[in-house]
Amino acid sequence: MSNKKPSRLAYLTSGIVKENPTLILMIGLCPTLATTVSARDGLGMGLAASFVLIGSNVVVSAVRKLVPDSVRIPIFIIIISTFVTIVDYLMQAYQPGLYRVLGVFVPLIVVNCIILGRAEAFAYKHGIFDSLLDGLGKSIGFTLVLFIMGTIREIVGNGTFFGQAVTPAWYRSAPMLFAIFPPGAFFLIGLLKALVNKTKLGGNK
Amino acid sequence: MSQMNPAKIFLAAFLVNNIILMRFIGLCPFFGVSTSLNTSAGMSAAVLFVMLLAAWVSWILYHTLLVPLGLIFLRTAVFILVIAALVQFVEMFLKRYIRNLYSAMGIYLPLITTNCAILGVTFLNIDYRFNILQATIFALGTACGFALAIILFAAIRERLEDAPISPAFKGYPIAFIGAALVSLAFMGFIALFGIS
Amino acid sequence: MDWFLILKSLLVLGGLGLTFAVILLIAYLKLTVKVDEREAQIRSVLPGANCGACGYPGCDGYAAAIVAGKAPLNACSVGGPAVAEKIGQIMGEEVTASQPQVAVLICRGGKEQAPNRFEYRGAEDCRQAALLLGGPKACIYGCVGLGHCVKVCPVNAIKMGENRLPVIDEKTCIGCGKCVKECPKGTLRLISRSKLVYLACVSRDRGKAVKDVCSVGCIACGLCVKVCPVGALKMENNLPVMDFSKCIDCGICVHKCPTKSFIDRAPGRPKASINPRCNGCGECIKVCQFKAIEGEPGKQHRVIPEKCIGCGQCVLVCPVKAIDLVGALGHSMKTV
Repeated sequence: MSNKKPSRLAYLTSGIVKENPTLILMIGLCPTLATTVSARDGLGMGLAASFVLIGSNVVVSAVRKLVPDSVRIPIFIIIISTFVTIVDYLMQAYQPGLYRVLGVFVPLIVVNCIILGRAEAFAYKHGIFDSLLDGLGKSIGFTLVLFIMGTIREIVGNGTFFGQAVTPAWYRSAPMLFAIFPPGAFFLIGLLKALVNKTKLGGNK
Repeated sequence: MSQMNPAKIFLAAFLVNNIILMRFIGLCPFFGVSTSLNTSAGMSAAVLFVMLLAAWVSWILYHTLLVPLGLIFLRTAVFILVIAALVQFVEMFLKRYIRNLYSAMGIYLPLITTNCAILGVTFLNIDYRFNILQATIFALGTACGFALAIILFAAIRERLEDAPISPAFKGYPIAFIGAALVSLAFMGFIALFGIS
Repeated sequence: MDWFLILKSLLVLGGLGLTFAVILLIAYLKLTVKVDEREAQIRSVLPGANCGACGYPGCDGYAAAIVAGKAPLNACSVGGPAVAEKIGQIMGEEVTASQPQVAVLICRGGKEQAPNRFEYRGAEDCRQAALLLGGPKACIYGCVGLGHCVKVCPVNAIKMGENRLPVIDEKTCIGCGKCVKECPKGTLRLISRSKLVYLACVSRDRGKAVKDVCSVGCIACGLCVKVCPVGALKMENNLPVMDFSKCIDCGICVHKCPTKSFIDRAPGRPKASINPRCNGCGECIKVCQFKAIEGEPGKQHRVIPEKCIGCGQCVLVCPVKAIDLVGALGHSMKTV
């Protein structure tokens, strides 16, 4: 595949690092900060959003020839909200604990800038397979950031990872709660973004 | 929550559970629009306008149409449709009848369609089982909380523009850290009601 | 498969969608504001920079003002004569184009020429620094050099140079005047693009007071006023004021100024050259202020290229038209 169309693989890989939605494009920030209190929550949110992103990218791309330009945004929104409703009820049924934690952020996936943004900027103008790859790439990038943030916040703020203790007991009895509270989320993503800027400034720009 | 008196609902939405700094809903416009005080004020006005109207229409549709017909699962699609249509309508209405308001905040209206804060409020009104009056106050409090956060932050960011900051931190990183400090200040309000 | 549920959902969602669509359609038909189509046409020929140089709020504001009959048709200095002509065509009126302008820095006192008198630690902004005792620079009139103009330029035409003075890219500059308004010291000014020579100093002090704080500041010696062949300079407030309508951009003041306070924007200057028509009358030697012509009376005179600055005064006085200015293609001068 990478011989026939080298750009195809790029659709997939660009979403992970070069065009990472959260750290480079700076979209989809709300769930990134709100749902990463623990690694499991971050991962769960990432997977839910990925489901919606890939699904909506594929469907939008499939119907793109039928959708007139002037009403495309409402059509995208309907398609996306369908997938969000699906994932909403799936999660309620199979992962009720996760659903309780994520709360209002599950239906808020429908206005996640990443999903509407990719539908508008990519899926509407490209073929189904390319849109699938793009959705997959961005999903991996997004979920990766969510997972990393969730992991850091959980380890630092709670001393655990996926609920399992990974720090000594003396730390867990008085962990740095700052990390699991809202200010900690802002602070962490600020540091991560600064790290990204540093690597961009130092090396390849 | 539905047992609370109006003043408590308002203050909770305004300060304690500030939609941006404590709930993390509505962050994209928060960082995008808060680079200047003028745009922040315009955005806040637009949010207030649309949030109230959206809260009412969505609450009415939910309780008079979706619940009696057993179609609760349609709420995601219906709410977002309502907001999209409402924003379009408000834009046209303002352009025709209240021209100066339109020139002040008209350009922010399309941005609000995907604003998590509006949709978030419509959902929270349902989750908290508010009646129409409580829903109104909650929407009002949330919009004011949004305005407070974004205007405070804009003032900080205008200062940050000229401050000597190391290159890696310029722009978003220092803005985030600034937001962390403001959020930390707002956490002090939790002591007001002891709710989270 | 609960068909009834599916039917209900279809009806409700479809019904709501239809209802909203109808409401929006009615709103669109009833509420759209009638816009004079000339306004849209004018807006489309405007550059869209929204710089405000015309004095109206953005290109939209200017288009509306033109159609309302309140604005001159040639106020857009960014679009220049081309845009003014198009606007004239749309409105069906004659237009005289306004001169395209460019921003220039009227201060040559950089890090090396005009040192600071104290170390400034604070917000990296000229307007803030200027509030503190007039700024860190020893010369309180001159450019602060912290780059406020860099920030406000809408087209990023200004960059901070090595010498702590802003450098304006004349090709990118659209002459909107935003930097001129924002500079706290008033060291940025708009001049016509065809103007080549200007004084680059705003110091209202004279003599030693200037020399102490800046090596290239105008000391108000008045020499330029004396050597100007057309009398375009006049001393006012210890600064030579240039009458742009008289100035011929000859460049004599640039070379005669003892502190090199003038700037010549010309990318190159021609040199005088004497052809064989010369009758050796010597008028050119009398008028040349730089002793750049040599020759015996009655014999062919010759220009010393290293000394000639291309001011063209000799060309004017030669009775037999034996002198030409050659070289520096693409550079125009009002004398020839």
